[in-house]
Amino acid sequence: MTPKPARTPDGGWGWVVAAAAFVVNGLSYGLLRSLGLALPDIAEHFDRASQDTAWVSSLALAVQQAASPVGSALSTRWGARPVVMTGGLLTSLGFVFSAFAGSLLHLYLGLGVLAGSGWALAFAPALGTLSRYFSRRRVLAVGLALTGNGASSLLLAPALQLLLDTFGWRGALLLLGAITLHLAPCGALLRPLELPGDPSVPPSGPLAALGLGLFTRRAFSVFALGTALVGGGYFVPYVHLAPHALDLGLGGYRAALVVAAAAVADAGARLVCGWLADQGWVPLPRLLAVSGALTGLALLAVGLVPGVGREEGWGGSLLAAAGAYGLSAGSYAPLVFGVLPGLVGIAGVVQATGLVMMLMSLGGLLGPPLSGFLRDETGDFTASFVACGSLVLSGSLVYLGLPGALPSCSPASPPATPPPESGELLPVPQVALLSPGGPHSTLDTTC
Amino acid sequence: MFVHDVPKAKTTAAVPVLPHVGLVRWHRSLIDTKALGETGASPVSNLPAREEMLAGFANLSLESHNISLTGQSSVAVEKNITLERPSIVELTCLFTTSGDPSSVRVTWRKGDELLEGDDPVSTAGGALWARYRFTIINSQQMGSYSCFFQDETEQRGTFNFKVPELHGKNKPLVTYVGDSTVLICKCQGCFPLNWTWYSSNGSAQVPLAGQTSGKYVINGTHANETRLKITQLSEEDQGAYRCRALFHLGASEDRVELVVLSYLVPLKPFLAIAAEALLLVAVILLCEMYTQKKKERPDDGKEFEQIEQLKSDDSNGIENNVPRYRKTESVGQ
Repeated sequence: MTPKPARTPDGGWGWVVAAAAFVVNGLSYGLLRSLGLALPDIAEHFDRASQDTAWVSSLALAVQQAASPVGSALSTRWGARPVVMTGGLLTSLGFVFSAFAGSLLHLYLGLGVLAGSGWALAFAPALGTLSRYFSRRRVLAVGLALTGNGASSLLLAPALQLLLDTFGWRGALLLLGAITLHLAPCGALLRPLELPGDPSVPPSGPLAALGLGLFTRRAFSVFALGTALVGGGYFVPYVHLAPHALDLGLGGYRAALVVAAAAVADAGARLVCGWLADQGWVPLPRLLAVSGALTGLALLAVGLVPGVGREEGWGGSLLAAAGAYGLSAGSYAPLVFGVLPGLVGIAGVVQATGLVMMLMSLGGLLGPPLSGFLRDETGDFTASFVACGSLVLSGSLVYLGLPGALPSCSPASPPATPPPESGELLPVPQVALLSPGGPHSTLDTTC
Repeated sequence: MFVHDVPKAKTTAAVPVLPHVGLVRWHRSLIDTKALGETGASPVSNLPAREEMLAGFANLSLESHNISLTGQSSVAVEKNITLERPSIVELTCLFTTSGDPSSVRVTWRKGDELLEGDDPVSTAGGALWARYRFTIINSQQMGSYSCFFQDETEQRGTFNFKVPELHGKNKPLVTYVGDSTVLICKCQGCFPLNWTWYSSNGSAQVPLAGQTSGKYVINGTHANETRLKITQLSEEDQGAYRCRALFHLGASEDRVELVVLSYLVPLKPFLAIAAEALLLVAVILLCEMYTQKKKERPDDGKEFEQIEQLKSDDSNGIENNVPRYRKTESVGQ
């Protein structure tokens, strides 16, 4: 008998949900990044090359992103809370199963498929629910949640190393199974929220639940194309920034500094951009296009930076380019999710989040192998980063087709889209219409 | 003579695979066996004829090493040389002095033994070159060779000859009961004659051979590494394992520490952490149910009041325009 609230909470319990999403992000993406620490021990134990074990994390990442729509579909049917808790249980089982692995295949199944599916069930619903709890401070809240993986890398990486030294890789995976079980309490914190504009009947079938109908909206299709292009280049520095720094002649510690600079800039930018976007000075789609373009330019800079000798240079130009990449990529991340309510309405946010993850996974699957292939063909990473930068730039160009991205010169034009909180095509009951001039209005009447 | 006279460079002459024992026998057949290992000069080094015969047989490479002494440094000048296979060695010490070169006395020593030699000492300007040429065939000829220049003070340059060292990981290898593991020893850029594995139980060192039971299997894909695979691990297998690389000129060792744990060891923290996570879930859900109940109870009370009010208002009729609504409370607080 929960009464229908007239407005989104925009705070209050929303901050608890933000904290829960922070932990979910940390225990999924953050943990995945730190998992690379265990891979050399595993490779040695099973007497396989490091390329074979690298597939474990690639598979987990691919499954997590590609299966995200399933997570959001299930949560529109049953609510985010049970789905995220089930995801936590599934991930934990995957880790426990892989602790007893007898071959690399067991690891592919346990970590790659099981844990990846669990993460898919946890991430998109958590982030989607967070978007529903905020309106005026949505992008800040999302940015805050997305710093989770940076914080997790800082904490989990040394902790994982300690576990590996004390318990070996099997014991470390077993204990990670217990740690990832904390996704369940995070899911428990996702209290269901009813908002105006929510469909009163649950979706009829699995296809409807997936939200594929969202693609029929022009704005979302434009967004989907742009995001798929950006995804092709966005993830490459995760994999190839360190080898690129080493190729350019920087020593091990200098290369690590470059990666750290990008990570810190990324985390800081997520918060600052989140706060900035919420002020409403610039329409979100325009901010999205701008940050995407800056990311593309920064990737070009990273690729075109001249090499330095091993002794003299401290890689200042690469450091600056990596920092610029971190700042722009960090600004992009919360915007990708923050712009969704404006495109699909608050009711479709969870489904849209899942679809966005899947789109990015398409790029994530193609980008790093393409980059590696170019590197093998040309001898260094210049071509790779130039290709990635171009992909990101073309995606940003596509974003210019979003409503509100380009300034329109007609002050008297009627609103192109109604206020985001009530959704695009759904009827807008008068009582539920929030302040029309809200900060996330996609109108732009200035020239 | 086969050996090319390329200064400061190792000739890349292939050493044919000789059994170590065979080489020693050949060596002994040439010289007086009494001279081996005794004080006094190694006779081989003073007889060019034997050198040639050995060189011609074994295709020894030439190693040239120099040390420069300025006469002012009080620090002993040392050079570490890694030698893997038998070689002809040429040591040169360059001594610069401000005084008269001919008054400088030059001696060569191996360790503390004085080495005799008729190697030339040449002078040019204020500099003195002392050269000592000899052959290293076996491990007894390895060690430290020093040149001494007796001027007002004694200047010394030392060449330290060692076999290649093995550098392994210093971290213990953690495994579990019933599992199998592979211990690896690698030699960077060097190729030992053979490898041996030892397990040390306490102070005793027991060599491990590839037994038929299959518990220990030793093989290596390349000559510069060896792998010891142990299956069916139990807690008695815990301890330090040593791998020993044998060269013509000596041996070097490395140790790997193996730790065998039972599954109960990580199981206890696992259960503790998992229980804590489930407890959190229970606490969160219970708290929420509790706060929900608290909210619904005042609602029930108000509803009761409203029903009472309606009943009392019923008689008025027209004034019954009090809108009946429930207090809408947002779920989020």
